[in-house]
Amino acid sequence: MKKVLVALLVALIAMTGVFAGGNSDGADDGTTTLTWAVWDYATTPYYDALINAYEASHPGVNVEVIDLGSADYQTALQIQLSGGGSEFDVVAVKDIPGYNNLVKAGLLANLAPLAERDGIDTSAYGGIVEQVTVDGGFYELPFRSDFWVVFYNKDLFDAAGVDYPTNDMTFEEYDALARALTSGSGASKVYGAHYHTWRSAIQLFGILDGKHQITDGGDYSYLKPYYEMAINQQNDGVVQDYATLKTSNIHYSGVFYNESVAMMNMGSWYIATLIAANNDGTSDAENWGIVKYPHAEGVEPGTTLGTITALAIPTGTDKQEEAWDFVKFVCGAEGAEVLAGTGSFPALTNDEINNIIASTPGFPTDENSKEALNVAQLYLEMPLHDKSAEIEVVLNEFHDQIMTGNMSIDDGLAEMGRRVDEVLAN
Amino acid sequence: MLKKKASEAPAFTANGLPIDRSIKIVKSEAARKAELKSNLVAYSFIAPNFIGFAIFTLIPIVFAFALAFLNWNGNTEMTWAGFDNFAYIFKNEMFLASLKNTFLYTIGTVPLTLVVSLFLAIVLNQKIKGKNFFRTVSFFPYVGSLVAITAVWNMLFNPSMGPINEILMRLGVENPPRWIADNDWAMFTIVLFSVWKYMGYYMVIYLAGLQGINTELYEAASIDGVNTWQKFWYVTLPQLKNTTFFILIMLTIQCFKVYDIVYMLAGAGSGALSEATTVLVYEIYNSAFRYWRLGVASAEALVLFAIVLVVTIVQFKLDKD
Amino acid sequence: MMIESSGQKILKVLLYVFLIIMAAIMILPFLWMISASLKQDRDVFTFPIQWIPEEPEWANYSKIWTQIPLLTYILNTVKLTVIVTLLQLFTSSFAAYAFAKLRFKGRNALFLGYVATIAVPWQAYMVPQFIMLRSMGLNNTHLAIIILQAFSAFGVFMMKQFYEGIPTELCEAARIDGMTEYGIYAKIMLPLAKPSLSTLTIFTFVNTWNDFLGPYIYLTRDAKKTIQLGLRSFIGQYSSEYGLIMAGSVVTMIPVIAVFLALQKYFVEGVASSGLKG
Repeated sequence: MKKVLVALLVALIAMTGVFAGGNSDGADDGTTTLTWAVWDYATTPYYDALINAYEASHPGVNVEVIDLGSADYQTALQIQLSGGGSEFDVVAVKDIPGYNNLVKAGLLANLAPLAERDGIDTSAYGGIVEQVTVDGGFYELPFRSDFWVVFYNKDLFDAAGVDYPTNDMTFEEYDALARALTSGSGASKVYGAHYHTWRSAIQLFGILDGKHQITDGGDYSYLKPYYEMAINQQNDGVVQDYATLKTSNIHYSGVFYNESVAMMNMGSWYIATLIAANNDGTSDAENWGIVKYPHAEGVEPGTTLGTITALAIPTGTDKQEEAWDFVKFVCGAEGAEVLAGTGSFPALTNDEINNIIASTPGFPTDENSKEALNVAQLYLEMPLHDKSAEIEVVLNEFHDQIMTGNMSIDDGLAEMGRRVDEVLAN
Repeated sequence: MLKKKASEAPAFTANGLPIDRSIKIVKSEAARKAELKSNLVAYSFIAPNFIGFAIFTLIPIVFAFALAFLNWNGNTEMTWAGFDNFAYIFKNEMFLASLKNTFLYTIGTVPLTLVVSLFLAIVLNQKIKGKNFFRTVSFFPYVGSLVAITAVWNMLFNPSMGPINEILMRLGVENPPRWIADNDWAMFTIVLFSVWKYMGYYMVIYLAGLQGINTELYEAASIDGVNTWQKFWYVTLPQLKNTTFFILIMLTIQCFKVYDIVYMLAGAGSGALSEATTVLVYEIYNSAFRYWRLGVASAEALVLFAIVLVVTIVQFKLDKD
Repeated sequence: MMIESSGQKILKVLLYVFLIIMAAIMILPFLWMISASLKQDRDVFTFPIQWIPEEPEWANYSKIWTQIPLLTYILNTVKLTVIVTLLQLFTSSFAAYAFAKLRFKGRNALFLGYVATIAVPWQAYMVPQFIMLRSMGLNNTHLAIIILQAFSAFGVFMMKQFYEGIPTELCEAARIDGMTEYGIYAKIMLPLAKPSLSTLTIFTFVNTWNDFLGPYIYLTRDAKKTIQLGLRSFIGQYSSEYGLIMAGSVVTMIPVIAVFLALQKYFVEGVASSGLKG
């Protein structure tokens, strides 16, 4: 028995020894290593391009990338930062609710004083910085900004003998086009349009007139016309059934590659993906174009939804100045050029950047597609709000309930308003 | 009966001395020493597991329970909340819906899984050709990666184009259920999936339990001219009591903690579960990692804990009777 | 079982029919998985389901090794799984002996406490636990995963239930022969507990092998990551490579099936067949 006790004791001591070992990787050879938390590192072309460009102009700095995965990125990031300890010096921020959580928990450094000190012109970001400002401070700087357009398959339009969509298209015209392009059945079925399962694909048509904030709660009946349009299209077989898409993981890129949808509203990130897929033969939709988002009467064409990807500096890092320098580079003019070179849309945008993207081999050559890159007004998919995470969950839930037919449009929107109000009240 | 009841099983102390309850009140020095020694021996058995468990699981759990009475976002200062978090969750419709759904799910899943896995184990414990194959195959759903198997399952049960509904329609069902897409059918679909996924797992435990049954009991029963059903009822089932008890408790706990399969089946497409499918741990996940209200998450977890504790104690008590 | 009458024969046929249908239900999704693993991403979710791909995309099976460092991930996972399984087997079977066959102060309370904590969802204490382990310097170490997985209450509970089925008379006899409790555990209990030990082995193996959340929180560096993290990395923000996910799932399922097959024979070699009778 004694032997066992001794053995146990030894095992315990051995274990504490391992704990005490810890991780100390502080070999100091004059170089600085910046650790950058991102997602989808392997499949995103611009991370390496940005790092290479930065390291080339800043000798003595290494940027190390940590990939936290895409699906639960914000969760993983905030857990890593929780308790104030950070092994990251720079972090990418994926969405607004996640940004809001990090700011509320005091985990991000305020960049406003730094930007002011260094004379950064925040108005160059087209109002985005103002939209992420909390109590006079902003805690992230956008480097990538995507906006929604309508992708269409020119071959399918030609086959149906219908004129291509234009950059000035009302919702009525859009709906009529979608119906005109629907044909066939079974394997040769062509759907006139396609809505991915995200709520933003349908719900946010309703905020483009600038009269409503999706986070306001209360009366959501202004979304009704758009849900009616989508549900009718669904019932008439103009678009694929939401329930089918949702339960079978059907991805929007696949249906467009397969030439089974004629038009698809989607973010500008899809441009680079589609070009790559056409190049390596994954996609059959080689003859495609883009036009501006459809608009309601009286709303300027080019009004659309936007989603931003930003960089932030955790309060826990002890390399704040070095990190800020990297953030300035990536979000600034140099970074913007690198991003555009990989076919992605930088947040710092101008005609020159659009020209770089429009001249990417594989980008449609018609004038309309190039013109579609000019955004008139951008609304964030999710505006910054103290309760944005909670509201987002409610909006998703009732989008799902309406689209699966579990609730009528009126009931769904009424419930949605009531539940958002409840979130706001608590 | 071979097995004695847990409460009275060891009538001896660790060193083999019979326990004499009459001298408990005035213990001699020697008796006290012997008791101390036998306690120490017992603790030494438990120590390797318990020390690791206590430090790395128990302490964080105790901390988390304390959080139920605080407000905390994982970083900035904690503030006292008292019972606010509990007041909040019991007003929260989604939390109440998740309680209801979790109960329904548990009530649907536990008996079904228990019966099916026992049946499978007994069948596959017979001399049957290819039983190795059948055993391995029933363990497949437990092993398969969740991403893959939920994707297939949703394909097969797709409301408008899935093969299951195609077959149903061919069999003359005019309006086949829309399964996971229909609020009224969603929970049932999830129960079906759970039974399918876990029956092989619990079958393995039952198989191991079946090996512990003394074959003499069956021989004796055969001599008495007992039929197969009676053998099952009077020999197999009582002999499997320990195993069934274990499975019952584990299955109940697992059902109350269900989350990822529900989310992958019903929520992955939209990013949110509805009032018809939300479950307790989903609400806890949301409170903790979407809203970063760790105090609320802890309060919800404490409610879950209390429920399972009551159910478990009841099961322990029933086991002893 | 003896076949006595034609009635029993029919029963047997029915039994086989049932088993074959059941096997089909169990295996169908896996056939789909294999089929999907040989498709291009855009064809994985098309209807009607095409079971045999026209042009099998064998490249998926080579891509999974180059697109992510799958081999490193597999080696990491093997390492973790083996260590966790061994530790779990030892600590659980050891502790369970005390709960099942010894009498000591606080036994019932301690045991109930053990079981009840299984009911606390990990999501609730993940943050405090993470902060604690990080302060010990365990973030980004395999040791963190080992510690989290190796001391589970589940194993103790399961082993205890099985030990209780072993006649106490055996222990008593051994005690009278002067054997220590450690001797009884090693020489009498363990050999008799083979079916349950092999069950615990399989469960721990599968759990550690398929664990996603633990490694996801604690292992952020490529050199430390495990298979499940690798598979999830095929699911991207704007595109998911389902062909690769399925190919990876097929490949990584093989070791688990192999372990199951190897241990299966022990399920049928318990107390009854080892010649010891109560």
